[in-house]
Order: sequence, then structure tokens, then C-alpha cells
Amino acid sequence: MQTALQLIVTALQIGSIYILFSLGLTLIFGVMKIVNFAHGQFFTLSALLVAALVPWFAAHGYGVTLAYLFAAGIGVVTSVLLGMLIYQFGFRFFQRDLAGSFILSTGLVLLLEGAFLHYFGGAVRTVPPLVSGNVNIFGVNLTSQRLLLGLVAIMATGAMYWVLSATRFGKAMRAVSIDHEAAMLQGIPYKRLAFQGFAVATFLGAVAGALLAPISVITPVLGSDYLVKGFIAVIIGGLGSVPGAIIGSLFIAMIESIGGFYFDPSVANLAIFVLVMVVLLVKPNGLLGSR
Amino acid sequence: MFKKRRIYKLCASAALVACAGAMPATAQEIIKLGLSIPLSGAAANWGKGSEWLCNEAAREIAQEGGIKVKGKVYNYSCVAYDNKYNAAEGTRVAQALLNRDGIKFIGGSLGTAPVKALQSLSEREGVLHMTTAWGSSIKGPKFPLTFTIMNTPNEITVPLIGYIKEVNPGIRTVALLNPNDASGQETEVVARKAWAAVGVNVLSSDWYDRGTTEFQPIASKIAATKADVVDLGGTPPSDSGLVFKELQAIGWKGVKVVEVGTGAEGVIAAGGNAADGVYMGAAVVFEGAQVTDKQRKLNEGGKAAIGESLNAVQLGFYDSVKALKAAMELAQSVEPKAVAAALPNVKFNSFYGPSGFGGKDTYGSVQQILVPVIVTQIKSGKLTEVRRIESAEMKARK
Amino acid sequence: MIRNKHVAMTLTVIALAAVSLFVRDAYSSNLVTWMAIAALTATSLRFVSLIGELNFATAAFYGLGAYGAGTAVTLLNLPFAVALLAGGVVALLVSAVFGYITLKTKGPYFLLIGFAFTEVMRILYTRSDWLGGNSGMVGIFPPSFFGAYFSTFAVLLCGAFIVLLYTIERSDLGKVFMAIRDNDNVVLSVGIDVHLMKVACFCIGSFVAGIAGALHGFANNVISPGDFGFLLSTFALAYMKVGGEDSPYGPITGAVLLVGLGSLAMRMGAGEHVFYGAAIVLAVLLMPKGIVGLAGVAASLGKARKSGKAGNAPQLRTKEGRSHG
Repeated sequence: MQTALQLIVTALQIGSIYILFSLGLTLIFGVMKIVNFAHGQFFTLSALLVAALVPWFAAHGYGVTLAYLFAAGIGVVTSVLLGMLIYQFGFRFFQRDLAGSFILSTGLVLLLEGAFLHYFGGAVRTVPPLVSGNVNIFGVNLTSQRLLLGLVAIMATGAMYWVLSATRFGKAMRAVSIDHEAAMLQGIPYKRLAFQGFAVATFLGAVAGALLAPISVITPVLGSDYLVKGFIAVIIGGLGSVPGAIIGSLFIAMIESIGGFYFDPSVANLAIFVLVMVVLLVKPNGLLGSR
Repeated sequence: MFKKRRIYKLCASAALVACAGAMPATAQEIIKLGLSIPLSGAAANWGKGSEWLCNEAAREIAQEGGIKVKGKVYNYSCVAYDNKYNAAEGTRVAQALLNRDGIKFIGGSLGTAPVKALQSLSEREGVLHMTTAWGSSIKGPKFPLTFTIMNTPNEITVPLIGYIKEVNPGIRTVALLNPNDASGQETEVVARKAWAAVGVNVLSSDWYDRGTTEFQPIASKIAATKADVVDLGGTPPSDSGLVFKELQAIGWKGVKVVEVGTGAEGVIAAGGNAADGVYMGAAVVFEGAQVTDKQRKLNEGGKAAIGESLNAVQLGFYDSVKALKAAMELAQSVEPKAVAAALPNVKFNSFYGPSGFGGKDTYGSVQQILVPVIVTQIKSGKLTEVRRIESAEMKARK
Repeated sequence: MIRNKHVAMTLTVIALAAVSLFVRDAYSSNLVTWMAIAALTATSLRFVSLIGELNFATAAFYGLGAYGAGTAVTLLNLPFAVALLAGGVVALLVSAVFGYITLKTKGPYFLLIGFAFTEVMRILYTRSDWLGGNSGMVGIFPPSFFGAYFSTFAVLLCGAFIVLLYTIERSDLGKVFMAIRDNDNVVLSVGIDVHLMKVACFCIGSFVAGIAGALHGFANNVISPGDFGFLLSTFALAYMKVGGEDSPYGPITGAVLLVGLGSLAMRMGAGEHVFYGAAIVLAVLLMPKGIVGLAGVAASLGKARKSGKAGNAPQLRTKEGRSHG
């Protein structure tokens, strides 16, 4: 039974990154009704900057934690700025145009991936963990860094919930995602909201990237690897639904954890794709999706 | 009126410029070496390093006076296109190199699927093809113009595993893990046989897709088998490091092997101290007593260019250029078929020392470069050479 | 102005085929073949968009066509024509099952289910050793009597299918498809089985994609699983968008332009990706209606100026695309 608990905890660990990633994706879809394939690039940029800057800060005499915080700050801010730039000159013109926004985002992926490769180099980078060592909870082994990641993911999710239900901004976003024309009739500044929504989504992706840096190896193609899983999580849960994104992420993480243990990761991957199709056949709008 | 005169003047000057360009500058001629390599995506750095090494080798040859054939002096220039590691792009690259650019010598190619696409064209069009692809299916008398320029799992596995068993006599069981790509699939087949041959039982053989980021589940599975050895076969360095890190966190202890592991830096960076003790079969050491100054300098240049140390795959692109020079001078010809006929008989200085081509017993024709198998092990965060196994054929020729 | 649009299109195809006869060097000949195949794939995508769906599984059926034809030739030793058709038929059969099950979903969900299916097929190919696995399948050769004229054959074959799709589009069946795109409830209320119609459209489009894939196999002689990932569908979409999705000539224009651009970009080595990506981004931003759309605007501007009605601004559609609710 220890194995079962270990598998669940592993799934939760894996799921936390997927959650942060897919929250951004689902937010963009909910507000703008577009699918942003380039979301992974904000994630990657933030992670790359952290990986590049932490050694630099450390070399200038800052402790690991402080170096990481500075680097993460710069990484997140830069990513969000990039996101806002891309929105202003790109996605703003393609709202509710599924095909057009998809192509735009694909072109952006090619462009950005090539640019990252050129500026950061293809070599693999790592960042020293903020907190090292393992903890033991109920007999389950966990690295402290991953525990930290999980906690941050929970906090971010909680914050999203609060924003969506309690703040004006959040309610406006929900209104827009249900029926944007009616929302506009109510006087909700749609264009400003779309911009803000995109910025928040980018912020979430960038934070996920900064958090992932100490756990994984950073390459310029990191975003693409997570992107596919993030999309699947969002479809399973239902595009535009925050609880859906969370359920979808955990669902995938469970399959990866259990499938990877009892079979192998390649089979688990296959299973995830097949299961997406099955879920959509039973619930064509995802588990919690709304139109 | 004026316009007409102007046009005539422009045409005249253009014609002059064209003539000037067409006149041979000196007695020196350039032979273009085509490269079909990944320049984007996950394997981009391999491609970058390969291109750099081809250029380095060409530069060295130019400094030493070029290639002298029948009274003319030739030099090499490297033309690299991105094959994106799949057959469709590999075909486009092959068509561009061979048909659009008229290139007659492929200095190196990387990635089994694009290599097969290139080979399909190069053999038909009489183009000499040097490759780093591993599969046995691309060698043999059916492909007289194809030559492999690095050690493949066929050459590495038996000496490596033999050594490991010798140094760790108590090992009885092994768990294999490989990426679901061409290198993984080819390595796994050879590895199974080699482990069985030394009496080690293969408990499990698993696959993961490239792009996997989370290795805990598979590490848990492997740890649960309680195998004495974990062999990661064709897994790239950073993924290997992550797997070993997870295994260490779970508490597994045993012999760690990355059979055709090419670079220690990735393993150490990703695995931290979990990387200690890992054996690798295709990595190259650049520090220590056995390393010559020339080798060290080459690596320093490479590191500056691509951000990490050079590996055996990329070094193949350096060796192939040197081999081509030797073969052209031996054959006294720059025709691909004549050069191909000369390759089995050349002796030249590769990165590793005196080398030649062999492998007739294994493949049916002489198409495999003979370089030593270097068994390395990571000790306290540094890659050290623990045994250098010369190719038996090369030894026999001395 | 030729009245009959069919005749216009057929003549265009024949003209292009004639041009390809003059293309003699091996590289350009191959380039023409790739352009033809790309045009057909993009047209197949556009055909399915008649029912208002973005068919991201195009790459999966293209791949099925390629592996189907490849298997027919290398493993079953079937003749060329049979193998080519076999590729299309395999794609058709699988698409019938897939379409029947999945066309209950719409819009972004259908898009992403197609995406997932493409990845499933790709992974299956890598794990199938009898198909060559990751190393790919080799030896898919067209019969030697084609010689250097394979490109002309490709242009003619692809052109024929494009004309066929156009014919269907302009027929009553096509009108039903477009009606479904505009409002499927209305179509349902008239008593037409909407689901079956959607599946029919999807199957036709996927059959054509399978033929394109089979041609790809014969043109390249070597195929690997990595050729048939979601990027292929994405590029087909790019050809359609950059060329202009409103006109049947749009996908052809986009395909010719982008494949040509890709060939030029290859010389840049590592910069190819960036260049191609930038080209797509710029094209989509500056020409939302595609090249054909731009040409249309220019033509109507020209007409307005000619007839002296300079005051009339040409009818420009809004930038918002169709809503996939």
C-alpha cells in the first residue's frame, strides 16, 4: 500500500506543474476563445532566464535563494513583457478566430524556439535546487524542492479561485467567457479584459517555468514537451474551466504515474492520448466544459 | 534613348563581372562536403557541434596545404542543412545537397531516418556517404558508397559490458531503459545479447518517449525490479542524469551504465552526485594524462562554439574529413567511386590516433571506421577513462 | 472572364502540368512534386472546413496513406496504381470509423481530438517494427517508366483531385456542407442527417489526404513516423491561411509559396526555423485573407477605379473569423 500512496504523491507532484501550465491555457481560451500554441514559449523563456541568471548572480556573491529570487523575478517579468508584446501585435487581431490564431501561434513557436536556440545555445542547463534533501511523509519519499513546488501550485490555484469568484476582475472574466457580447452590453471593457487575461495567463506560465527550473533540465525545447500535456489536460477538463484544468492535469498525472510504473512511459503516453479521445466521445465538451 | 544606352552599359559591365567570376581564381579548387544534420529541436547541439568540427577539419587541412591530387590542390568547404531528424526533411536535404548543389561527398549525416532517406538517393547517384547512423541495415555490400564514421552499439557493447562484468563480477541481473527512437531501438537489441553473453539476466526492457520530463514513475518501476545493473542504452545524457537522480532518491543502489552515452556533462548536470559511478561507452575524455594537447585544444574550441564538450558523434564528422583526404590522396582521384574503393585501404590520423576502415566480418563489406572503444566512468563528478580497447582489426594491421 | 469556373480550374491544372514538363533538373522536379502534394493536402483541409471544422487529423490520414501505400509496395509487392489507391482506401476506412465517433464534438475540441489522434498514430508507427519503427520504411519507388516525369504525373493527379473536390464543393452536396457550417440546426430541421453528412465530407477529405500521403511515399522513397506529426497538419493549415481560405486557389497558392520559401530557407542552416516561422507570422498578420484575398481586394479596387466610382470603398469583411461556438 505504500506503493499506492507513493504513486499518488508522484502524480500530485507531476500534476502541479501541469496545473500551472494549463491554468494559463484555459484562461486564454475562456476569455479569447483561441488556442495559443505558443504558450509553452513563455514557460521556456522564464526557465531559460532563470537557468542563465542564477549562476551569474551567484558569481556576484548572492546566496542561492536570493540569486534564484532575482533571476526568477527577471525571468517572469521578461516573459510577461514578451506575452504582452505578442498580444498587442498579434493575438489582439485574432480573437475568436481559431484557425488564424492557431497558425499565428505556430509561426511564433518556430520563431521563438529558433531564437532561444540561437541566444541561449542548445546545451542543457540546470539550476541548483532551492532546498535540498528529501522529506518523508507517511512513509512516502519526496524531495523538498518538489514539495515546495506542490505548495506553490496549490497557492496559485487557490489564488485563481479567489480572483475568479471574489474580485470584479474575475467576475468580469467569467462573464466574458460565458457570453462576450452580453458582457460588452453590460459595459465590461472587453478589449482591456482580454489584454489583462492574456497577461495573467502568461504570468502563470512564466511562474511555472521559473519553479520548474530547479527540478528539471532546461533546454530551449522544454515548452513544447509540456505544451502537449497541457493541452490534453485542458481538453479533458473542458476549455475555459479552471476546475476542469485542474482535474485534467491530475488525470494525466495519474496515468503517467500509474502507467509509467506498471507498464512504461511510452505506453502511458499512448494511453493518455487514447483516453483523451474516449473522454471527448462521452463528454464532447470535456468533463466540466461549457460553451 | 538615354535609357537604351544605359541598359547596354549595364549589360556590358554585368558580363565583365560574370566573366571575372567564372575564371578560376588560382589552381585551388573547392570540394563541397554536404552535411545532413539536425540544427533545430532537441538534437540541435549535436548538429551544431558536427558542423563546427567539419569546418575545423577543413581549416586544418587548408593550413597543412590542402589535398593534392594529380597536381591540383583541393580544399573542403562544409555545407550543412537541417534534417530535423525525420525522413521527409532528410529527403529535402538530400535533394538539395545532391541535386540542387551538385555535391558529390557527404561529410556526415546524423539520424537514422534522414540517413536512410539520404542513402536512398546517394547510392543511386554515385555519391560517397559518410554517416554516424548506427543501424546495421544501412551497411552491407548493397550500399558500396556508405561508410560509418563512429563506433556503433555493435562495436561498443561487447567490450564495454565485458569490462563491466570483469570489474563487478557479482552482478546477475540488469534492467534496460531506452528512448523510443532509432538509437534506442538499435541499442536495445544489441545490449540484450551482450548481457546474456556474460551471464547477466535481463529482467525488464522499457521505453520512454523523447520529450518525457518526469522520470519518477519509470524509476520506481526499475527500482522495484531490484536489478544489480541499470543500463540506459541510447538515452541522452540529460535524461540519464534525471533517471539516476530519481533512482537515488528512491534508494536504489547498483551499477549504472549508459552504454552509448556520449557526454558526461549532461549526466552530471542533471544527476548531481547520482551520476557518480556511471559507465559510458561513447564518451570522450578531454582531461588527464592520455589526452594530447591537440585534442584538448580542439575541445576548448568546440566548447566555446556550442557550450558543452564535444562527443563521439560530433567527432565522427572530424574524422570523416580526415579520412576523405587520405582516401583522395591514395586514390589520386576526386571521383566518389574511386575514393570509396580506396577507403578500405587508407591509414589516417583520426581524432583518436591511427585509424582505418574494417568490419567485413560483421557487415559483409569494409565500411566501419576502426577507432578504439573508450570505456569511461564518472568518478567524483569527473569523467575518467578506465579502459581503452583498441579495435582488434586495427591492431592486426600494425 | 471565363464563365465556367470548372473549365478555368481544369485549364489551370493542365497549364501547370505543362510547365512542369519543362522543369528538367532533378531538384526542381522534386520541388514541383512536393508543391503539388502540399497543395492537395491543403485543399483537403479546406474541403473539411466546408462543414466548419478544422481537421487536425489530416496528418494522421496522410500518414496512413503513406504507410498504406508503402506497405502495399514493399511488403505486399502490389503494383503502383493499386498501392496508391490502397493508401487512399486505408485512410478512408479509418476516417469513416474515426469521423463517425468524433464528429459529435466541434470546434476546438474536434481540433484537439484530431491532434491527439495524430500523435497516437505516430507513436504506433514508432512501435511497429514491421513498419520499420523509428528508423523508417525504405524502398517505396514508383515504377521506372515515369523517369523524370513523375512530377508531371503528381501535378496531374493532385490537380485532378483538387478539381474533383471543387466540383463537389459547387454541387448540391457542397451546399449542404456549407449550410451545416453556417447553422446545423437549420439543416437538421429540414430532415437531413447532419451527422452522416459531416462524416461524408470528412471521409472524402481524408481519402484525398491519404492519396497525398501515398504520393509523398513514392516521391520521397523513405518515410518515418516523425514525418507525420501534428506539424504536418499545421503546415497544411498555414498553406491554406496564407494562400487564402475563401478561394479554391488559395491552398494551391499558399502551398507553392511556402514550400518554395522553405526550400530557400534551407540554405540558412540553423536559421531556417526562425525564417520560416517569421514568414508565417508576417503573412498571417499582414494578409488575414491570404494572398488570394489580397489579390481580390486589388482586383475590386481596380474595378472601382475603372468604372469611376472612386468613392465606393471595396467591401472588406471584418477581421473576426468564423465563430466556433
